[in-house]
Amino acid sequence: MATESTHSNAVSRRDFLRGGVRVAGMTGAGLLAGVLTHKAGATTHVWQIDPAKCVRCGLCATECVLEQSAVKCVHSHDICGYCELCTGYFEPQPNALNTGAENQLCPTAAIIRKFIEDPYYEYVIDEDLCIGCGKCVEGCNRFGNGSLYLQVRQDRCVNCNECSIARVCAGDAFRRVPVDHAYLLKTKPH
Amino acid sequence: MKHDDSSNRLTRRRFLLRGAATGAATAALAQLREARAAGVGAANPFAYSVSEFEVTDPALLKYREVRRFEVPGPEARRLTLLPGGSLLVAAGRRFVEMTAEGSTVREIAVNGAARCAAVAGDGTVYAGVQDHVEVFSAKGERLATWQTPGKRSWISGLAVGENEVFAADSGARLIWRHDRSGKATGRIGERDAARNVPGFVLPSPFLDVELAEDGLLRVNNPGRHRVEFYTPAGSLEFAWGEAGMAIDRFSGCCNPCNLALLGNGTVITCEKGLPRVKLHGTHGEFEGVVAGTESFPENAKTGAGDGPGTTNRASLDAVADATGRIHILDTVTRRVHVMEPKQPT
Ligand code: SF4
Ligand code: SF4
Ligand code: SF4
Repeated sequence: MATESTHSNAVSRRDFLRGGVRVAGMTGAGLLAGVLTHKAGATTHVWQIDPAKCVRCGLCATECVLEQSAVKCVHSHDICGYCELCTGYFEPQPNALNTGAENQLCPTAAIIRKFIEDPYYEYVIDEDLCIGCGKCVEGCNRFGNGSLYLQVRQDRCVNCNECSIARVCAGDAFRRVPVDHAYLLKTKPH
Repeated sequence: MKHDDSSNRLTRRRFLLRGAATGAATAALAQLREARAAGVGAANPFAYSVSEFEVTDPALLKYREVRRFEVPGPEARRLTLLPGGSLLVAAGRRFVEMTAEGSTVREIAVNGAARCAAVAGDGTVYAGVQDHVEVFSAKGERLATWQTPGKRSWISGLAVGENEVFAADSGARLIWRHDRSGKATGRIGERDAARNVPGFVLPSPFLDVELAEDGLLRVNNPGRHRVEFYTPAGSLEFAWGEAGMAIDRFSGCCNPCNLALLGNGTVITCEKGLPRVKLHGTHGEFEGVVAGTESFPENAKTGAGDGPGTTNRASLDAVADATGRIHILDTVTRRVHVMEPKQPT
């Protein structure tokens, strides 16, 4: 079993929801209800991704047993570098730093970039659109602080005995975590 | 570049776009599954790729590498040129003087992480050490220690003129102006709408300062992908630079990360992420490449999170000598690459 990453913390559902204020993409309606419905009862452990081990191989998008993967991108505002040229949001060579579709990196336009005040932007992930491909995660890791990363959303995951993504995960990043600490949130850049 | 954040609101436009994007999500998934079905090793159609920017057009390469050597010990961070032509390397908790051929001459121990240095015409060394400045004579005798007035100081660049020392403080996000006795006499580069100063944006602690013969300071503003020109009194005279991976732009979250100057005023810009060193005229015109990303493979790998050490360590620094040679420090390999112009300057 992998040792816990020094850059990510296992957090409880409550922390996760509280953190949802700061962690975009974690505020989906029915999240708590979803977790409780799926994970109540005898379940003691669930699958989660250690962001420090994920190598953004792309298999999270295609290998989940669900039609649309339970793995979604999340964004940690606390460790975001607030880059003007956000390499998780923009194509490597955008025509302009605006929200035009042709400038966006995400193949499904799932990232909403919101101007707060110069130089700060907030990113929100539209989870219905995010397919968990990890392209933005690679862009953010490659040139930014690594504040975009993938997590198994517990309100969607059906907690297969053997996670079909974990079987093929190129980074050996999946591990079982206690249901009451179901997320491995990053606390430091990279 | 202009910003357009009109899509922030969940407008009818976004609503319509969302409909299109839902289709895009289904199509994207289908595309991914098709690629996956083609077998292991099939290209991921959504792989993030910057490979086209990792190769430099040979016609743009104005320098050739003539030598490289390694800096002894851990954590080499910045380079400074000493009056006699040797190099002073900020490394670990000391400054190492090395000949241009790579032999160690002497070491000066300091009281913290050695980050940067500037050397006055008389040989006095101003050493940026963590949150303060230590001053040494040309012979290496300790003369003074100055505390910077900032509470969270992180001294990442220094420049010295006849009467003044300028300290780039990444923690305080400004340049401190000091007299040569260490008294703080000014603050430069803080956001000030009345003076049209936008303020430094520093996603990572790479604020640098150089003083040119024209008396203006060159300061990188990495989060804005610009080089800014200030008077010692703090007026922003002009600025240039555009964000992008293309060779004539500044890539990634925060570049240029370090600056140097050639004798003719050309600005040498160092980038991290896509590690490369380039030349820009005083008014920003792109003049060519000193060394491209292919010269620093370990640095590029570390910057991408795949190499040895942390990504924060992966940067480049440069300094030019009187003959026009440019010395580049790769902070990942701790190698100094000595570059000579292909055409005599
Ligand atoms: S399968 Fe593993 S390495 Fe690949 S994107 Fe998912 S978590 Fe990351
Ligand atoms: S790039 Fe991929 S992982 Fe990132 S938000 Fe878009 S669909 Fe999700
Ligand atoms: S446990 Fe099952 S549902 Fe959850 S991420 Fe893995 S494959 Fe998908």
